[in-house]
Amino acid sequence: MSASQKKSRYIDENWFTRDRHGVALLGSKCEACDKVFFPKKLVCPDCFDGKLTEIPLSRNGRLHTYAQAIMGPANLKKPYIMGFVDLPEKIKLYSLIVDCEPWNEVLKIGMDVELVVRKFGTDRHGNEIISYMFRPTTGGK
Amino acid sequence: MRDVAVIGIGGTRFGKYPEKSITDFGVEACLKAIRDANVKPKDIQLAYAGNLAQWQWGQGLLIGQVVLREIGITKIPITRVENGCATASCAFREAWYKVATGACDVALAFGVEQMTVVDSGKMLSVFTGRQYPELSGDMGFTAPGIFALMAKRHMEEFGTTREQLAMVAVKNRKYGAANPDAQLTAPVTVDEVLNARMICDPLTLPQCCPRGDGAAAVILASKEKAKQYTSRPVYVAASIQVSGSYPQDQSYTYFDTDARGAKAAYEMAGLGPEDMDLAEVHDCFSMAEITHYEDLGFCKKGEGGRFIQEGQSDIGGKIPVNTSGGLLSKGHVIGATGISQINEVVKQLRGQAGKRQVPGAKVGLQHNAGGFIHTDTACCVIHILKR
Repeated sequence: MSASQKKSRYIDENWFTRDRHGVALLGSKCEACDKVFFPKKLVCPDCFDGKLTEIPLSRNGRLHTYAQAIMGPANLKKPYIMGFVDLPEKIKLYSLIVDCEPWNEVLKIGMDVELVVRKFGTDRHGNEIISYMFRPTTGGK
Repeated sequence: MRDVAVIGIGGTRFGKYPEKSITDFGVEACLKAIRDANVKPKDIQLAYAGNLAQWQWGQGLLIGQVVLREIGITKIPITRVENGCATASCAFREAWYKVATGACDVALAFGVEQMTVVDSGKMLSVFTGRQYPELSGDMGFTAPGIFALMAKRHMEEFGTTREQLAMVAVKNRKYGAANPDAQLTAPVTVDEVLNARMICDPLTLPQCCPRGDGAAAVILASKEKAKQYTSRPVYVAASIQVSGSYPQDQSYTYFDTDARGAKAAYEMAGLGPEDMDLAEVHDCFSMAEITHYEDLGFCKKGEGGRFIQEGQSDIGGKIPVNTSGGLLSKGHVIGATGISQINEVVKQLRGQAGKRQVPGAKVGLQHNAGGFIHTDTACCVIHILKR
C-alpha cells in the first residue's frame, strides 16, 4: 500500500461531528430534563423520558484535575498527561492534555482548556487515527 | 433475615507462583476454611466462587466446580461470581444472603486468581475497551491514573501532601511485615516511598499495589447451625453492595459508592463509624485509602491526609486500618481480595492476629471497591462483622 492510499480515521466515529467551526465532540441532549451526555446515548439514562437530540459539545472547558503518567499503554509516548475536563454542559470528560510543557508550571487546576482534534496514533495498516485532546486555551483567553 | 456467622476462614499466602495451577490455590484455601470451621465437605449446601478473568486459557470457567470437585464438594449449586476487584466480596455476599434468607444453613465462598501468568499489557487490555473514553486503554487511562487524578484534585482542594500519601504505604507495609501471608514484607520509610520510581505523578511504586496469585475462602452458617461447629462465631452485622452513580458535576475527590454504601451499612448494623475497632479498606493505591477514610466516615471530608499523619489509622489511633498490610503489602489478587480482607477482620475479632492484633477488637468493617466507570467505582461492597 502506498502512502497516498493511506487514510485517516477517528478513534471512534460516534464521538465526533462537524459544525460551522469545524470538528466537535458529539453529545446527546435530553429534551425533557436538559441533561447532556457523551458519548451519545440511546435513551436518557437520568429520566428515561423525552427525546434525545444530537448536539456538538462546547470546545472550551476547565481543567478539573490532571496527572503525569510515566507508565501507560504501549501505543502512547511516555510520559504523557491525562486529565478530567469539565465542560459547561456538565460533562466530566477524560482526556489527554497536550501542548502544556513544562506541564508542572503550565497546568493549573481550574484553568481554561480547549479542544484539539488531531493525530493520535497509527493503526497496524498505517492509517492515521484521529482523536480528541485538550490543551491550555490559546489566543489570550 | 436470619443472623449469619463466619465459622471458618482459610487463605494462601499471596505472591507470584506461575508454576502452580489456579486450582491449587483454590483447593488450599477451601481446605483450610473447611478444617478451620470443623465442617465436613458434605455439610456444605451451596457455594460461590469468585474469579475475575481468564488471564490465560484454561483458567476461570467453572472454577467453582473444578476446585470443589477436588475436595468432594459436588452435586450442590455452585456459581461463579465476577464483579471487578470486588469479586470475592460479592461471592461472600451471595453466600451470606442465601443463608440469611434460609435457602441453606451452611455455605462456602471462595475467591481465586492467578495474575502473574500474563504481562501488564495483556492485563490492561482485559480491563479496557472502546465503549467509553475513560475505559479506552489506548487513550491512556490507567488504574494508577484513576487515583493520581484524584490525588491532584485532593491536594489542591484540601492541602493533602505527598508525604501524607506516602505515609499510607509506610503504615501498610509496616503491618505487612507482621503478616506472614503478605507478599511484600519489607517495611519502607517515607523518604524511600517518595524517592521510589514514579508511576503516575504523584504516586510512586510503593503506593501502587502489586498483583499476585492466591485464594481465600470462608464458611458461613446460620446462627443456630454455627453453634454446632464453633464457640467463636463472627457475625455478619451488615452486608451492603452498591453500584456507581458516576457523577459528572461534583468534585473528583470522593466515591459516591463509598458514601452511599457506608451509610447503608451503618444503618443495617445499627452502628456508626465510631463503633468500628478496625477496618480493612481497598487500598489499591495510597490515595484510595485516604479517600476511603473520608467517605466511610472515619474523618471529615478533606481530612484524610491529616488522619494518616496523626496516626489515627494506626493501632492505638481512632480506627486501625489495614492491619493485614492491605493490598499494598499483600498484593491485589483480584478474585480473592475481598475474602482475604474479611479473613483479616475475622482473625482480629477472634484475637488471632498475632503481632498486629488490635487489642480487644469486637467490631470490624471490610470495604472492597470493584472496577471504575467514568468517575466512580462500578461496585462497592461493605461488610460489618462483630463477635
